[in-house]
Amino acid sequence: VKHYLSLALITFSIGALLILPIFVESTYLLHIMILIFINVIVGSSWNILGGYTGQYSVGHAAYFGVGAYTTMMLMQFRHIAPWWGVWAGTAAALVTALIIGSICFRLRGPYFVLASIAVAEIFRVSALNLKNITNGAEGILVTEIPPLTAGKIVITDWTTKVPFYYTGFFFVLLIIVVSVLVRRSKLGYYFQAIREDQDAAHSLGINPTIYKNTALAISAIFTSLAGSLYAVYVGFIDPGTVMGLDLSVQIVMICIIGGIGTILGPVIGAALLIPLSEALRSNAVTDALINAGIVNAESKTGAFLKENLAHAHVLIYGILVVIVILFMPAGVLGFFRRMTARGRRAA
Amino acid sequence: MSILMQSLISGILIGGVYALIGIGLTIIFGVMRIINFAHGDLMMLGMYGTYYLFALLHVDPFLSVVITMPLMFLVGALLQKGVINRVLNALPQNQILLTIGLGLIMSNSIMLAFTSDYKILSTTYSSSSVSLHGISISLPLVISFAITCAITAALYWFLLKTNTGQAIRATAQDREAATLMGINVRRMSILAFGLGSALAGAAGALISPTYYIFPQVGSVFTLKAFVITVLGGMGSVVGATLGGVLIGVAESIGGAYIGSGWKEVVVFVIFLLVLLFKPSGLLGKSRT
Repeated sequence: VKHYLSLALITFSIGALLILPIFVESTYLLHIMILIFINVIVGSSWNILGGYTGQYSVGHAAYFGVGAYTTMMLMQFRHIAPWWGVWAGTAAALVTALIIGSICFRLRGPYFVLASIAVAEIFRVSALNLKNITNGAEGILVTEIPPLTAGKIVITDWTTKVPFYYTGFFFVLLIIVVSVLVRRSKLGYYFQAIREDQDAAHSLGINPTIYKNTALAISAIFTSLAGSLYAVYVGFIDPGTVMGLDLSVQIVMICIIGGIGTILGPVIGAALLIPLSEALRSNAVTDALINAGIVNAESKTGAFLKENLAHAHVLIYGILVVIVILFMPAGVLGFFRRMTARGRRAA
Repeated sequence: MSILMQSLISGILIGGVYALIGIGLTIIFGVMRIINFAHGDLMMLGMYGTYYLFALLHVDPFLSVVITMPLMFLVGALLQKGVINRVLNALPQNQILLTIGLGLIMSNSIMLAFTSDYKILSTTYSSSSVSLHGISISLPLVISFAITCAITAALYWFLLKTNTGQAIRATAQDREAATLMGINVRRMSILAFGLGSALAGAAGALISPTYYIFPQVGSVFTLKAFVITVLGGMGSVVGATLGGVLIGVAESIGGAYIGSGWKEVVVFVIFLLVLLFKPSGLLGKSRT
């Protein structure tokens, strides 16, 4: 029964998300949804390497940025449409992943974490300094996205948020299907064996180098897809936003907060964090507090909140991470699973 | 030749401050096996403390080390007692994320309190320099180097000669054996984190007359601190001292010959090379 129930739930949510843009007029809601999709894609792809294989990369911004930059540079400087550029981006990310993997996977534990940060920082500083290729700190701004046509029929000219919504949704479904397939396949068991005990796995004939690199390759390809989607959707990239350490940390946080090593974890993490940080950034929380009459807009607190709460969304991330690690080390998902299990036992 | 000498000397001088940051991180790692990602943010707190002591109370930044160090010791000890002690046996990745989270809280609280504007602490001697055989050296750097040397010497004395210092080193060597010898390991952890934070705070105070002060300044120094400690060997105090000076020199010479935009890349490439070919560091013993 439980199996059918979850199947029905999945079908329902996919259906609801598919028809959502038809009924929802608010571009703001669509914007939030697209941001959530992008973060689900990066979170889930990080999860394949970090969650299943146990390799805590804090340098995933490198693949995100490589994808974003490849697509944008091809589109702006070579006039190659993004739906072709994206694949060039994944190829570039794959090459990057193999290079980084060959360096970093010789290291374990904290040393791997530090090496992954160092490599990503080298990419960021290079993107900043190679001004004639990347435009340096000025970044790249999209002037025009060519319309997507099939023969003579224009499928979309990318002027609304809806095509981005469906593209994002498609990639979300894809990464979730890939995650499920990976997890249930022999490959997934190899990954988990490496996570649990690399030496034991090795002694049973699993080559850790090959399988860690495989996990990284899958992870990097999807991270780069998310990066390209972000770049074309937002229409502007610079080294700090698409290659910075903050982004790498955010990707890890989505998984840790949601629940690491689970299919739904990154989805929950992104669905919790993105609306929260967007609400803070757009001052929606302050407005709500003022409208509810809790805080007077004219008062000192009101003015302070209005002025500063918008900058505080990273602070909330920090507080959430500390709380989750101290009190729910298995993430929000794990926490609720334990709670329901306890409830069942009590009943 | 004079460019080389110039950058060599200023590299060594700034390397002294780097060494302080590195030693703090390495003590924390040695005792608790935790990589403190909030280290640069602790240093940032030291910078802000120094800045406001100077701006409001006109305390000289170099003199304020006497105030910032004990204050930061308290901050660190409280963090250890209240938060980090709870995750000593957790997965290493969770420990890392916890310290990242703490760092974010620190830098963003400071941003809320004092805005993200860049602050510059300018004393009467900020831009003065000493001339030596045609090489000019910034005076604040010279003073900060002298104070760094004094602090490092005092620290070595503390770790080598006092009972508490020896207990800290024993805990770093083998936690269980230290417990069996009657050392209060939890108290040593609190002491070690306090000490590490105090050193980070001192580094922040010493660097504040020559560096921009802003809430996000920490992450730059966190990364540098990692490079320094890995270079010297995780947990090795002598190694961190050496690593700090080496990184200072590498940055300064790289900046002079390759271009200042690339000096970070020089540092990270050295870091990766050390990780790959001598992961135990220059003076480290084991990888665990």
